Amino acid sequence: MRPEVLVSMLAELERIRELTLDLVERSAPRLLPVPPSEAAGAERTMFELLLAARRAVLGNPAAARRLHDLLVAEGRRYAGTPAGARLRDALVASDAVENLRRVWETVSLNVLDGPASPNSAPDAWAELLADAIIGHGLDDSVLSRFRPEGFA
Amino acid sequence: MLTDPREALAEQSNFIGYLVGLAGLDRVVHALAADDHRRADTPREADDLVHVLLALASLGEAIERLAESAPAQRSPAATASPPPSTNTRWLR
Repeated sequence: MRPEVLVSMLAELERIRELTLDLVERSAPRLLPVPPSEAAGAERTMFELLLAARRAVLGNPAAARRLHDLLVAEGRRYAGTPAGARLRDALVASDAVENLRRVWETVSLNVLDGPASPNSAPDAWAELLADAIIGHGLDDSVLSRFRPEGFA
Repeated sequence: MLTDPREALAEQSNFIGYLVGLAGLDRVVHALAADDHRRADTPREADDLVHVLLALASLGEAIERLAESAPAQRSPAATASPPPSTNTRWLR
């Protein structure tokens, strides 16, 4: 197969991936909250930044997980140095980091945590999308009784 | 074009912007660590989020070191006519 054909194939796969994501978002609108109509200025900017972060993670789970793993590995290495260890101890004791953790967990929906096969999307990502899409389709008074409380 | 290099292309590159952004994140991490409000409960072990923050600080510090070594690497001709760019000003 000629290199030009391979590149065309990659471009087409990327287009299909984008279209599939659009369909997923339409099937699970709760994953993409509607921007607050009255928000303006800094609040609006923050909303758009957080929404972009969520789309980046949900739309590119394998790449996001790889970047996440690289950063965690670098963080662990840095924590092994005296300066890194001091910073780690200060971060662990900081209330601001706890607030940031709540923001990150709300935005990322924790899809980057847990097990993941090498070079593939994390299991939590697939489970979240399945819950969001199938859970929406099963909005039924009988079946909803079978859904554990707190389950999406 | 790679066959027609021009200095102006370096000014238009986003690469310096990336570096400045990462260096800025390092300062955010240090600001988080310096938060006056300490946790009331027993701090937990450092988890993935803390290690990601540490990685951003580590990268930021590495970039700061690059910036500190930048003037020594400049040629006299380059320092005589510095381009008017906010990003490169930071690196100096």
